[in-house]
Amino acid sequence: MNAAGFASLLQGAALTVMLSLIGIVAGVPLGLALALVRWARIPLLSQVVAVYVSVLRATPLVTLALLIFFALPNIGIPVDPIPAAILTLSLNTAAFNCEIWRAALTDFAKPQIEAAKAAGMTPGLAFRRIVFPQIWRTSLPALVNEMTLLIKGSPAIAVLGAVDITRAAVRIGSETYEPLPPFIAATIIYFAIILVFVRAQRTIESYMTRRFGFA
Amino acid sequence: MSLFLLSRRQGLHTLAVLAVGFAPAFAIALAGAASAATLDEIKKRGYMIVATEDDYKPFEFIQDGKPAGLDADLLAALRKKVSFEIKQEIIPWTGLLAGVSTGKYDVALTAALITKERVQSLDFTMPIADATHYYVKRKGDDSIKEIKDLNGKVLGIQAGSGLLQRLPELETILAKTGGKIGKVVEYTSYPEAYQDLALSRTDFVINTVINLQSLVNEKPNVFALGQAVSGPSYPAWAVKKGNGELLALLNDFMADERKTGALAELQKKWFGKSFDNLPVNFTPEF
Repeated sequence: MNAAGFASLLQGAALTVMLSLIGIVAGVPLGLALALVRWARIPLLSQVVAVYVSVLRATPLVTLALLIFFALPNIGIPVDPIPAAILTLSLNTAAFNCEIWRAALTDFAKPQIEAAKAAGMTPGLAFRRIVFPQIWRTSLPALVNEMTLLIKGSPAIAVLGAVDITRAAVRIGSETYEPLPPFIAATIIYFAIILVFVRAQRTIESYMTRRFGFA
Repeated sequence: MSLFLLSRRQGLHTLAVLAVGFAPAFAIALAGAASAATLDEIKKRGYMIVATEDDYKPFEFIQDGKPAGLDADLLAALRKKVSFEIKQEIIPWTGLLAGVSTGKYDVALTAALITKERVQSLDFTMPIADATHYYVKRKGDDSIKEIKDLNGKVLGIQAGSGLLQRLPELETILAKTGGKIGKVVEYTSYPEAYQDLALSRTDFVINTVINLQSLVNEKPNVFALGQAVSGPSYPAWAVKKGNGELLALLNDFMADERKTGALAELQKKWFGKSFDNLPVNFTPEF
């Protein structure tokens, strides 16, 4: 593997990070929205979300990517590889994030909500001031865990022609017939990316502990 | 690496194989809904989309970040001949033919083996090379000396490939000496298959003679080329079935490349030898 090969790995890393970040930025709030629909037991919508989560959790990323990439143009929606990849990652992680948020919401202490109601808070205000500030802290470890899983699952989108870290490594290996060096380099790059996420989580948690006395 | 291979073999690989099976099924189910652009439509919109691979050396691979190989050179020549722009999508094999038969790409500009199954949904140009199937083994593996020694050995081969469809031929050859094909391991692409062969997880890998010659030239201390395990086999470019004008345009181009000797030159450059007696029309038996 030469310098050009290493540069292509870094390019792949940029794409992996970019697509994963977009997936996370879209998937975390979307997951919360889905969880709220289920938590509030909105008729019909709640069942739709339950089916969505079941289907998405059961669909492998590769299959989902191919489905989106080949099916959407057939119903008149042209889709390029990168948007298809973003859609794949966002929809997938939203389903898992929904379950993380839902667990936090289900566990949330009912008396607090009743107290908020008694104090005259609207449901929206109670959510913003009472519920959300607590559930995001309890959900943080699970959410970061899901983020790292998403990053590691992202090579699936290579099937669309997007060149992520793993695909870049495959290309180098198939040109040189020496797959070991590019894959070792790829592993180190993944490790570095995941480390940033885990560090960020630790930093936020320790900040919370200092500020509020609990994480 | 071994960790990666493990996870691929147990997880991703299974999924990928599922996806390989899934993609063509999808393509067939939806084939009527979308259609590849005809030559008129291509001229009108001003561009054609071709799909190529990135890990099929020496036909198509990526060298220092740029597409290289026989097909990359042919594509460059084609670009000079046509009046419209050619957009190139570099994608893994898994979704490539499905993408052409669903109309996502206009041409599979890759070394796709002409097979009986594929001619049902695709039209092939005249062949770009001779690709008789050979096997490759680990250098120094004395248990394999000739074809009959392949009896019961573990075979590595690409999933969804034309090579896989012609295994009955090897089966017939082996049956003559009372042998049969052992366990068959399918891979999404050949680099993994070669790696597993080197690691002794498989005993031999079947691919076209061109690909294997390239492999053996590059890694003479690891791999050794065996004998032919199939009759004649030819790779060619493909368009969606019935896209006659586009096929004619590509065939005219290819005939020209043959006549001027340009194709022979490129074959020498990438394969080390030229194939001068390639057929114009090839009707696959398998």
